[in-house]
This record gives sequence, structure tokens and C-alpha cells, in this order.
Amino acid sequence: MDKPGHRLTLLPVDRGTVRAVIVSLVLFALAGMLWADLWRFTSPVEPRTRVPAWATDIATVRQPSLRPEIEIVGFTYRCSTCHRLFPPRPTTGRTLTQHRDIVLKHGINDRCLNCHHPENREAFVDDKGSEISYDQPQLLCAKCHGPVYRDWTHGVHGRTNGYWDAAFGPVERKLCTACHDPHVPPFPPMRPAPGPNTLRMGDQRRFHARHEEQENPLLIYQRPTSRDELDEKEHE
Amino acid sequence: MSAADNTPNNPTHGAPAGAAPEPSRRGFLRMGVNAVAGAAALAAALSPLRDLDPDDAPSLEEFFQKHYKEMSAEEKQAALARIAEQVRRRFKLPADRAVNVQDPPPMDGVEFVYALNVSRCIGCRKCVHACAKENNTSRSPEIQYIRVLQMQKGSIDVETSEHHYDPIKIPDHQAYYLPVQCHQCAKPPCVKVCPTEATWQEPDGITVIDYDWCIGCRYCEAACPYWARRFNFGKPQIPADELNLDMAYLSNRPRSKGVMEKCTFCLHRTRRGRMPACVEVCPTGSRKFGNVLDPDSEVAYILRHKRVFVFKEEVGTLPRFFYYFDERGSRYHEPIEVFEPGEST
Repeated sequence: MDKPGHRLTLLPVDRGTVRAVIVSLVLFALAGMLWADLWRFTSPVEPRTRVPAWATDIATVRQPSLRPEIEIVGFTYRCSTCHRLFPPRPTTGRTLTQHRDIVLKHGINDRCLNCHHPENREAFVDDKGSEISYDQPQLLCAKCHGPVYRDWTHGVHGRTNGYWDAAFGPVERKLCTACHDPHVPPFPPMRPAPGPNTLRMGDQRRFHARHEEQENPLLIYQRPTSRDELDEKEHE
Repeated sequence: MSAADNTPNNPTHGAPAGAAPEPSRRGFLRMGVNAVAGAAALAAALSPLRDLDPDDAPSLEEFFQKHYKEMSAEEKQAALARIAEQVRRRFKLPADRAVNVQDPPPMDGVEFVYALNVSRCIGCRKCVHACAKENNTSRSPEIQYIRVLQMQKGSIDVETSEHHYDPIKIPDHQAYYLPVQCHQCAKPPCVKVCPTEATWQEPDGITVIDYDWCIGCRYCEAACPYWARRFNFGKPQIPADELNLDMAYLSNRPRSKGVMEKCTFCLHRTRRGRMPACVEVCPTGSRKFGNVLDPDSEVAYILRHKRVFVFKEEVGTLPRFFYYFDERGSRYHEPIEVFEPGEST
């Protein structure tokens, strides 16, 4: 049946059958590869882990009691419990014998009686020597921090939670002590919440040091960033 | 049978035409094997359809749903009920978790404005995550409306900024932080380029998207000078227990694959008088929000009395998002000098 002199005479099949077998084998191989999903896309972005709960917590950084109280080994005492028995001496700047756990780092304001009332320890003192209630710390801070107090009264400094429109619900203005420790007033540094889990633009070398052999298509921008300079400074 | 008849005429076939029935049978087998292989290859090529969720296919009423602005009140209610049912099915919510999909209208005499104090922002990124949680944005692939840029001190060049910063503690005293999100422009270029009018500006200043009308062309993303619009490249993945069930049609209802989304100033909250999620979570109180038409509002005070700047002012989009400073700049730039007791000055 084969033409004379055809090379495939050794095989018991004709050329058409061989071709058909090859075609079907290729098709089966393709089908297998597609089914096994050999070219599945793998994202270079790592899967997202859950964001820690503190990152979405709306609580203020401090929750001061706003009462003239002190907690000593689990018991809460009012200031007058001790200060009634031991009347304060009118001198300032002497060495502390009590409250030595309190760190006072308030700039040049390093005298207890600048803020605490010299006679009544359950109150703060204003510029004229009158008492300021413990639950009104903003009046005390206003003695020195005028512009900040002005901004705070207009809601521009400090936190406002709840409602922007008082017709719908309470507009919660937070007090100074909700963010600032009066004894160490700067806002405390904190951990940053997780950064974006996206492909990084900019200099990729820092982030992909371990994949240096791979060429990154997003490597479009090589100018050093502020962090580079900082890293270098730390290195020095 | 027809295959067997045709094979002798097949030019690829080695045998001459009109040959004995034997090559014809062989030809038939060849054809059969090829046909089976071809069918298998076709089936394999279509195999990605396995991953298609029947819930993703639009229902008839969804397919014929009108544009948001053309829907009557009854049609809107029907759409809200349909969305609530879809959310329940998609996230397999138990019966005790009520899905509340609303459509709060803009309030009369209200124009929302946002102000952010760059002197106080410490770059903690809590706003980013509070926003994602509130607005049901996809966790994987990740979509976040707010991008906090760590800027070089003395520069507003975003080309030298960094948003992947990850030190042990923030703030970094060598830098400042510029959180960027949708600026809710009064002349929004994203609205101008939309070919389907799926995005528009509401009377209270918020630019919104009808997710059911968006075709995902991403023109708006390209038009936005603030990189404020996000595209759902994949089906948004949100853990069901983290889903915020207080939803609105135009803001935080779960999106589907292939649509744009953006910050809406949390309109499901703010149109009911509440603060946006990013404002409420900000630990430093750098974020301020309110009605600029109310002269007693915080934002009106800021615009009148503070030093305010508009990011990329030169592009002329008239944003409703302002950055402002305090008089002495940020305190964290200059750490307070501490006088130790006994130290001579």
C-alpha cells in the first residue's frame, strides 16, 4: 500500500497514521498541561496576614482617671488621705521623699507646685493661686500653652470622636491628658501599623536583596530616598 | 460514517483516492483519535471556567438594573434588598448577623471638607487599617484608600517619598508624613473621563461610584492626580468576621472583581452625622472633618485661621482636602529638651 521507496516502509503503518498519532499526542500533552495548570500565575506579593487589633482601636493612647487619686499596690487612695495628715511645706524644689516613681520631664516646668495646688493636693493651681478641678486639665495646661488651648477650644488641636454634627449625637472632645502625660508631655512614639503589601515602586534593591538575581520589572526609579540616607547614616 | 467516507479524499492521507475499505477504517480511527484529543485540549483550555462561581454571574434583575440616578424609590429598595441577600450568600453569614444596606441621601446645606494637620501626623498608619475595615476593601489582593507618604523634610516632592517605611518606632524625626487619599475635588478629573457616567459628584461634595455601572476601564484611575482610585484586579477577599455590615449603596457595600472604588468620606457614617473612620482612629487628632458651610465647624476655623496648603494645587482640581500646619511646626521635629535635676544650664 505504501509507495515504493518510501522511508516508512519499516513501520507497519502509513505516514498519515504517524502524523495523526503525533498530532493527537501533542494535543493530549497540551490538554494535560492546561489541566495541570502549569502556567498558574503566582503573585510576587506575599499574602496578607491579619492586621493586629490595636491598629484599628479607636481608644486614646491614655485613659486618665481625672480624679485626685493614686494607686499603690492595687489600692486606690485619694490624695487627701495622706496630704491631710502631712500638711505640705510651702517650699518648692526640695528632694522628693514620696512619689519618687513619677518622672517629671516637662521642659523648664520642673516644679511640682507649678501645677499642683500648694495647700489642696486634690486640685491644680491657676495663675492667681485659685483651685482648678482635677477633671478640667485643659484649664491648667492653658496657663502656658495658649495657642494650643485656643486651637483646642475650636476643636483644631486634639481628638474629636463620635459625631461631627451635634444634632445627631455627642461630639466627643478629648482632653489634653487623653494624649499627653502631664509629667512627660510629648506624644509617645509608637509602632507603625503594617505597611502596604503591594509591589514596591522605587528602588527595589533594598527590599529584594535576597532575589538579586531576578530582574524586577518595577525597577524604574533609582534615586535614593530619605530612608536610604538614614540607613547610611546609621551605618556610619 | 461521514468521516470514513471523507478520509479517502483527505489530501493529508497517504493512500490514493478510491482505495480499499481497510485504509478507510484506519482513517476513521485516526480521525476519531484526533477528535478525542482535540476535544480534550478544548476542555482543558476551558478549564479556568471551573473557578467561576455561579454567584458571580449577574442575576436577571441585576443585569437590567438601571443607573443609580435613574432608579425610582421602589427600584432602589429592591436593589438594596438584592445586595443584602447577595452579601449574605457570598460571605455565608449566619442568620443572626443582620446585613444593613442603606442609601443615605446627601444632607441639605452640607458640604464636607477634610483637613489634615501635617505638623501632628506621626505616620502610624492606623487610619489606613481603620479605613479598610470600615469600607470592606479587599484584604487580598490588598486595596487601601489611604497612602501615608513619608516625606523628606523641607520637600513636597512625592518622587522622593516612601510609603513602605517600617521602623521600630514612629515618628522619624528626619521626616514628615503626608497621608494621601481621595481629595473629593470640586472639579474632579475622574468624573470627566468616565465613559459610562458611573461616577459623579454628589451635592455634598463626595464623588461616588455606582459599582453596578462601572465597566472597569480604569480611565479615572489614570486621570486622578492623587492616586486615589483603586481597581479590583481580583475578587475582593474579606474575612467574613471582619465584614462591616453597616453598608451603603454608594460606599462600602462589597465590590466585585473588575470595578473601581475610592474613598467616599465614609458617607454611610458622615451622612448620618458620624465622623469618618480615619478621623475617629487617628491617635494624634491630626485629622479634622466637618461641614465647611457651617461657620462654627472645625474645618471652617482651620480654613480661616490656619496655614493651609493644597496638595498639587497646580493641577487645578480644587480639592476639598486640605493640609495645614501649627504655628511652631511639628513638635516631634524638635524633641523637647529635658532639664535634668542638678544640671547647670
